[in-house]
Amino acid sequence: MNEHGILRVVSKLLIPFIAIFAFYVQFHGDYGPGGGFQAGVILAASVILYALIFGLEAAKSAVPPSWVRFGMAMGVFLYGGTGVATWLLGGEFLNYSVFTPDHPSHGQHYGILLVELGVLLAVASVMLAIFYAFGSRPVNHPGED
Amino acid sequence: MSGHIILDLGLISMLLVIAFAIIRMRSLFAVVMLQGVYSLVCAAWFVSLDAVDVAFTEAAVGAGVSTVLMLAAMLLADRQSDEVSLRRQIAPIIIVIASGLMLFYAIGDMPIYGDANSPANSHVGAGYLDKTAKDIHIPNVVTAVLASYRGFDTFGETVVIFAAGLGVLLLLGLNGNAGKWQACPNGVSIGLGQSPYAQLGEDQPKVSPKAEVATNLPKEKKTIAKKTSQSKGRPRKAVPKGDVS
Amino acid sequence: MDILSLLPPWLLTHGVALLVVLPLLAGAAMAVIPRERIAWTITFMVMLICMLCALTLALQVIDQGRLSYKMGGWEPPYGIEYVVDALSAPVLLLISAMAVICLFYASPSVKAEVEPKKRAAFYGAFLICAAGLLGMVVTGDAFNVFVFLEVSSISTYVLVAMGHSRDRRALRAAYDYLILGSIGATFFVIGIGFLYMETGTLNMADMSNILDGLDGGSRVAQVGFAFIVIGLGLKLAMFPLHMWLPGAYAHAPSFVTIFLASTATKAALYLLLRFAFTIFDLSFDYVVTILSQFVLVLAVVGMVFASIQAIFQTDVRRVLAFSSIAQVGYILLGLSFLTLSGLTASYVHLINHAFIKGGLFLAVGAMWYRFGITRVADFRGLSKTMPWTMSAFTISGLSLIGVPLTAGFVSKLQLATAAWERGYGWAVGVILFSSILALVYIGRILRVAYFETPPQINGVEVLKNEAPLIMLIPMWILAILSIVIGINAGWVVDAAGRAAELLIPTQMIGRGL
Repeated sequence: MNEHGILRVVSKLLIPFIAIFAFYVQFHGDYGPGGGFQAGVILAASVILYALIFGLEAAKSAVPPSWVRFGMAMGVFLYGGTGVATWLLGGEFLNYSVFTPDHPSHGQHYGILLVELGVLLAVASVMLAIFYAFGSRPVNHPGED
Repeated sequence: MSGHIILDLGLISMLLVIAFAIIRMRSLFAVVMLQGVYSLVCAAWFVSLDAVDVAFTEAAVGAGVSTVLMLAAMLLADRQSDEVSLRRQIAPIIIVIASGLMLFYAIGDMPIYGDANSPANSHVGAGYLDKTAKDIHIPNVVTAVLASYRGFDTFGETVVIFAAGLGVLLLLGLNGNAGKWQACPNGVSIGLGQSPYAQLGEDQPKVSPKAEVATNLPKEKKTIAKKTSQSKGRPRKAVPKGDVS
Repeated sequence: MDILSLLPPWLLTHGVALLVVLPLLAGAAMAVIPRERIAWTITFMVMLICMLCALTLALQVIDQGRLSYKMGGWEPPYGIEYVVDALSAPVLLLISAMAVICLFYASPSVKAEVEPKKRAAFYGAFLICAAGLLGMVVTGDAFNVFVFLEVSSISTYVLVAMGHSRDRRALRAAYDYLILGSIGATFFVIGIGFLYMETGTLNMADMSNILDGLDGGSRVAQVGFAFIVIGLGLKLAMFPLHMWLPGAYAHAPSFVTIFLASTATKAALYLLLRFAFTIFDLSFDYVVTILSQFVLVLAVVGMVFASIQAIFQTDVRRVLAFSSIAQVGYILLGLSFLTLSGLTASYVHLINHAFIKGGLFLAVGAMWYRFGITRVADFRGLSKTMPWTMSAFTISGLSLIGVPLTAGFVSKLQLATAAWERGYGWAVGVILFSSILALVYIGRILRVAYFETPPQINGVEVLKNEAPLIMLIPMWILAILSIVIGINAGWVVDAAGRAAELLIPTQMIGRGL
């Protein structure tokens, strides 16, 4: 267990900050560069870093593959669901202004928040799914690291 | 010459050098790493072009995650790429040169970079700047365009990503255990010894009109398939390519 | 219209968006639904609703003309607009109806060809593919076309690769398709980018107005047009860009091949018509040059060359795949005449070929389902072992050749007439010659099936083993449809005529002749 001691300590310190940074990018997207795509990738990167240092199995017990599968679908649902909600409120698909008819711009804010969350969930889950899928295959070159 | 142009030229020439290096490399590990470098330089160039959001995405996706994913994929495949014979490179080179010439042909009529009166900057693009302040009240116009004005495009892009994930799920499985199941006809195979289950009929000369449901079969069939493959070598490989004869 | 007043008003306004959004959301749901049966039922219901939506839209278009829907409530040049008109409504109906027909067939076919645990996700990929094709057709925004082109392409690569549990070569075919498809998409998006540079808008109607004002635009627009034609040419398997198609059709699961053969290239052809004639138009010289010279030559070469290649294939699915390339040639030939009758013929053949090729692949899939065969030589005696399937194959096959009283004859007659009116007597000859080649490659299969005895296993002749009823119904629907159109083509030709009038406005008739 003493292998890569420094890497383990440093990454343990870094990973929470990477995840926090992902959420900063997510929620600051209205004001500066960033948004769901970038945040999702960064969030996935924090888990992938964990997997690289502590092993795929450890990562899989932290973020189980079934969650990843669920997250992929939920991301699309959250985005599409926002659109369906605007339908139910009588507007066009993805017309967020109907959320708060008195202040259309507030509705736009809520809508953008929701769909960006959907993008975050979908992107992070898919990136992890791809990583899990490749990482779990038996390797052809057992001798190499 | 302003410092900006020198910076742009420097970054573009670095991109060119890296691109040529990627083409010439045989070690796939180096190629993957260079692709990460390419993305990073690209991201720097986008920053210099004031496309900060794109730069951010390029850095996070291109230089970050996709390098790791490419490495993970490379672990499953070879470390070295095969030489491609010169004869097979001719057609792609001609296509690349032809498309490049077409692009150069268009350059003469393109608006100057950063021209405030170019159509892209004056028509809808300028409209977004005005409308975002009026309709949405957020400072980042890019987010407003992506998530609201063209939110349906972004929905489509989310589905594209989802489809990629679904594809990985279908083809590899999240636990690396996919791809062993074999399809089989719900009847009896009568192909001329070419199909993998060609010899199925050996023990049962008559075709039973109500053959078992395929889902129940795999175990039995696998053993039979093994027998045939022992007796006939590898029947799958024997299938002719079916190209023009 | 009476029927329209019976429908809920919500559907009349929002049906356009529902058509695309519903299958997308249902496709996402399939990732978490474990049960195959539930997955199939949801998929079937969703595509049925889509078909009804498309039908409603078609009726609305007949009633009111052009329909428009503002996504997100934003005005068109800023937001994304969905447009349904006489050109897109029939294609929407075709895609959704073919999806429903294929799904009947899917339940036994997918059981035999796809791993049990993956069937739900497989249906998910299918739903996303169908939604992508519908989205490509229904949208009025050039960049949105690209997004949905990607949605449908990515899921198509996966669907083709799913043939690997039947034949490992499916993986190679899917890979080839992935690479070539991505190159095509890149060309297409560069073209769109150039158009944006030239016009500053992505809305098709707006783009068309601005390009008119610029009188065709500069070299940027010309190169943009060329790139779009090449990109779409790859997607629709225009002759030298068709390399992905035979492999993809031959190794994909039967269900996927049927759906792709009858819809995917058709959606891309629709886009070519949309871009070449409504965004650009025939008052621009470069459009006339590219269409009436380059596309014409490629169409003719494709018709002859692909038909000849079809004759030499050993695998029936490859025969039909090469025949598809030749048929794309027919459609492009009609388009390249740049006349009202040429475009009508082209559109009629687009619809007819979807039915014909769908029917043929349905029958071939059923033959694999029962006997595990796809090679021409293995078709021995199929007229005795699978009489109903083989007769459906025969009807659709004759229709492909263009025998009178079938749909194929109608479209070829239209095309030949259009060629004659255009003054291209030689094109009539090419059409005849290519039809004779079709007679050879279909006749070769029919000869084996009808005039040879069924094979023997250990000295005992293989018994009759007809395909299940649920597979026979869809193939007979298409076979009968072929004959119905052959006897009374009025409705198809009318629909095509309306589409063609939209493509060439009256003041344009005669341009480029």
